[in-house]
This record gives sequence, C-alpha cells and structure tokens, in this order.
Amino acid sequence: MLVNSDQIIEALIETIEMVGLSLLFSAILGLPLGILLYATRKGQILENLPLFNVLNVIINIFRSVPFIILLVAIIPITRLIVGSSIGTAAAIVPLVFYAGPYIARLVESSLLEVDHGVLEAAEAMGATPFQTIFRFVLPEALSSLVLNFTIATIGLVGASAMAGTVGGGGIGDLAITYGYQRFDTVTMLITVVILIILVQGLQSLGNLLSKKIRRR
Amino acid sequence: MIEFQNLVKIYNSGGKEVHALNNVNLKVNKGEIYGVVGYSGAGKSSLIRCVNYLERPTSGKVIVDGHDLSKLSEKAIRDVKKNIGMVFQHFNLLNSKTVFANVAMPLVLAKTPKDKVIKRVTELLEFVGLADKADVYPDQLSGGQKQRIGIARALATQPSILLCDEATSALDPQTTSSILELLKKINEEYKITILMITHEMSVIRQVCDRVAVMEDGKVIEEGSVFDVFSAPKTKTAQNFVSTVMHDQLPESILNMIKENGTKNVIRIHFIGQSTGKPLLSQLAKKFDIDTNVLFGNITELQGIPYGNIIVELQGPDTEVQRALQYMTTNEISYKEVNTYVS
Ligand SMILES: Nc1ncnc2c1ncn2[C@@H]1O[C@H](COP(=O)(O)OP(=O)(O)OP(=O)(O)O)[C@@H](O)[C@H]1O
Ligand SMILES: [Mg+2]
Repeated sequence: MLVNSDQIIEALIETIEMVGLSLLFSAILGLPLGILLYATRKGQILENLPLFNVLNVIINIFRSVPFIILLVAIIPITRLIVGSSIGTAAAIVPLVFYAGPYIARLVESSLLEVDHGVLEAAEAMGATPFQTIFRFVLPEALSSLVLNFTIATIGLVGASAMAGTVGGGGIGDLAITYGYQRFDTVTMLITVVILIILVQGLQSLGNLLSKKIRRR
Repeated sequence: MIEFQNLVKIYNSGGKEVHALNNVNLKVNKGEIYGVVGYSGAGKSSLIRCVNYLERPTSGKVIVDGHDLSKLSEKAIRDVKKNIGMVFQHFNLLNSKTVFANVAMPLVLAKTPKDKVIKRVTELLEFVGLADKADVYPDQLSGGQKQRIGIARALATQPSILLCDEATSALDPQTTSSILELLKKINEEYKITILMITHEMSVIRQVCDRVAVMEDGKVIEEGSVFDVFSAPKTKTAQNFVSTVMHDQLPESILNMIKENGTKNVIRIHFIGQSTGKPLLSQLAKKFDIDTNVLFGNITELQGIPYGNIIVELQGPDTEVQRALQYMTTNEISYKEVNTYVS
C-alpha cells in the first residue's frame, strides 16, 4: 500500500468538506429555485408561465451536461469566483453548478407531491401565497424533502470524487492517483469501502430522519 | 347572507367548454342552514366554491354579507375569506401538524397573539369534543374525529358563514348523524349561516331549513325542506325525496292493483294537525264504503308530523264520489294513485 492512514483520513476530511460546503451552497441555490419552479407552474399559486419556462430550460441545460464536462467547461467561471481553478474551493464551484439545479428539480417534485386538498384549505383560509408555501406546502413536504436531499448528497459524494481529480483532493483523488495510476489495489479497495460506508451511512441517516418527521 | 345573481361558471378543459353553472339565482338567508342537493356533476361544488372564490365565476355576481366579491381586491377577498369557514369532504388537514396546530392555523395566518390562539383553540376543541386530542396527529384520528377537527378549524376565526362541501360523504351513517348534530349545534349557538351541499337527501332532511335541487348547472327546485319533501314538483326532486321518504307503493302491491283491476286507489297526505284525525273510520261510517289500507307511513319533517297512506275505497261509485267530495270540502289533500305512480 502506497498511502498511510493519515493520508486516508485527510482525504476523507476533504471529501466531507467538499460535499458539505457544496451541499450548503447548492441548497441555498436549489431550494428557492425549486420553490419558484413549483409556484410558477400552470395552475399553481403564483402561476407565471414565462418565468417558469425560462427557469425550466436553464435548469434542463445544466442537468443535461455530464458532470465531467461541466467540471472543465466552467473553469473560467470558477476562476472568476475563487481566483483559481485548482484546490478544494475551486472544486466546490462546479459541484454547486451541478447539484444546485438538481436540488431545484428534487425540491419541485417533493412539493408537487403535497395533497391538493391542503392547498385548497390554505386558499379557503385566505392564506397569502407566501403563507401557503411556508406554512402549508413546505411542512407537508418536509419528509419527502429530506429523502430527496439525501439523494442529492449521495450524488455529491460521487461527483466530488470526480471533482477531486482536478485538484480538489478527497477520496476520489486518492483512488485515481494511487489506486488507478499506480496500480495500488489495496488503496483502491480501501477507498471503495470508505465510499460504500459513507453512502450507506448517509442513506440510513436520511431514511431515519424522514421517517421521524413523517410519523412522530 | 349569501346571494347568487345570474351566476355562470364555464370551465375550459382541454379546449372544451364545460358549463358547470347556468345562470343560478339563489339567496341564503342569515342564520339558516341551506342545503343544495343534486346528482354528480350537477354543479354543486362549483356553486359552493364560488362563495369563497376558490372558483371565480365566469359571469354573474356572488354577494357575501353585502360585499359583491367581483368588486373586491385580492387583499379584500382574503379578508372576506376569514369570515367564511369551509369544511371539506376529505378534511384537508395538515398531516405534518398536530390537531392543535391545525385548528390554530387560521388564527396564525391572521397574526393573532399567542395567548389568544391558545384560548380559542382550547375552547374550540372542547366544543367539538376532542380536547384530549390536541397533541396527536391527524393520521391517528378516525374519519369522524378528523371532520370535527376540520369543523373546529373552520370556526377558528369566528366566521359568520360555514360552507360544507359533502362534509359527511366520507363517513358512515352513524358518524354522519353526529357530525350533522354538531353542525346544527353550531348553527344554533353561534348563529352561523351554513351552506351545505350533498347528494344525500337524508342529510338535508336531518338539518336543513331550506333546500335547492340542482341539475345541469341550474337550480330546478327550491323551497323549505317541508314543502320540497312533502310535494316535490320536478322528477329529479321526486327521485331524491323518494330515497328518504319511502312513500311509493311497493312493487308487489302495485302489481296486485294492476292484476285485480282495483279501482279507486288514492293517496292521502296528512300534515300536522290532521295526522291525529280518524279520517278513515269517519269515511266508512258516513258513507257506504269500506277502506282498505294498502300502504302507509308517518314521519316527521322539520318537527311537523307528516304522513301519507294509500287506501282503496271499496263500494258503489256514487258513494266513493261522495267520500272524495267530502275530503275535498274538508281540505284533505289526496291524489289518485294511478296517475301518481308512473
Ligand atoms: N376544474 C374543473 N375543470 C373542468 N371541469 C370541471 C372542473 N370542476 C368541475 N368541472 C365540471 O363541471 C361540472 C360540475 O362539476 P361540480 O364538481 O360542480 O359538480 P358536483 O355537483 O359537485 O358533482 P359531485 O357530486 O360529483 O361532486 C362537471 O361536469 C365537472 O366535470
Ligand atoms: Mg362536488
């Protein structure tokens, strides 16, 4: 084995950092976008088809570019934002461009699951559109939102491994530089096992949380 | 008070126009329980949903407590809605919130101070008999309990109008009765005007003061529950009434009449006072006829005894005619059955 345990722990911390930070920024971007997508849809509380269509197309564009291409395609933007195209911070930018629109879609689909009757009740009570979203729709969708955010987080773990190869570090970087390029099977195996444990852990946590919210 | 004037509602679904309401004119007086009955697709939901603008009328007016809704701003309409409670067939409670939070919701939306919210919600839960359920979630309640919570929520902001769209249609008969009793209690104690729609005539009979029968987007018959139930004019109203009044001749007796060529079969209505009079024995004594009761029932409508029996008058034609004459002069309403039963 060409790596020591310190390197593995460091890589793990880098991965968690990348995933955590990009999840945070993606959520900041994706949650409002998802709400907007939901609310401006035909027949919804803030129906606005021009806005909906524009958002819809932009999100589709980002969603249709594979992450590995997005990663290099937006290097100029990455430079503009963090001043460099290498390093953990630089890896976060493409991750956010990748996960933000993805989260927007997931949020939209979670909100669309909310029973129409609840919206009707809100309307009958004279709730404003703002109240309808924050007092009715979001609380009702919370459990489903948690599950969808779990999916997005796991997606980010995968993407962060790719982002790592452009200098972001992390588990993925370790696997490529040692496991693949230098034929270190043991390191490869260890990174794979770590990723499996990470993903399993995240999914279990998400399931637990969602269940807790749903049943109480 | 709710008034509909020349109300028209046309839906556009898939390029096709659906005329759900065709020129409806109706007035619901303050403090009464008004029922609207009709078959599926008659336009009942469309009508009730125009009262709180869940549906916007295509044309015509909805006047609620003197406000013509079409003349109000969005904000003003939201305020009017706070004066109108609504109860739904499928309850529409928030499963993510406790019973307490559900009932508190309209107050929270109206930015009511917390101590007042607690006081009002506690009072409401007590009123609907579910004070012990404050902290449970709706999915732990039975249908009837959910509807009580739905009703408590609808009453939170002390509205003057309560709308019930098939509020009991998802419930079993016994639970339906208890919910209807609750609605009656609300009407009496809080003097709230209730507009309810249903496809069950028994619901109308149990609680309503007045009733409208709808068909194809139109009100085809309207009046006090007593009048409509005792003398329905339209075929549809007759069908609805027969579902609860059981005043039609059973098939077997009808066949017997036809086979035997029985003549002089009449239906006699007894209303109020006359229910207590021994009419049949009087007829038999005064005239040379016998009376043979084929069918009969006596019930109560809005607290008034109401009966109807079907009898065969046996005897010479001249005596039968005299007996009928006697009933007419004494203002006892009767009808020849052959023309009544189709
Ligand atoms: N949102 C809508 N879009 C298109 N058509 C509609 C809509 N809502 C109702 N309709 C149509 O309008 C007509 C009247 O419907 P409405 O729901 O008012 O009837 P209803 O008397 O309440 O029937 P039910 O007893 O089945 O609830 C029906 O033909 C129905 O298909
Ligand atoms: Mg309906």
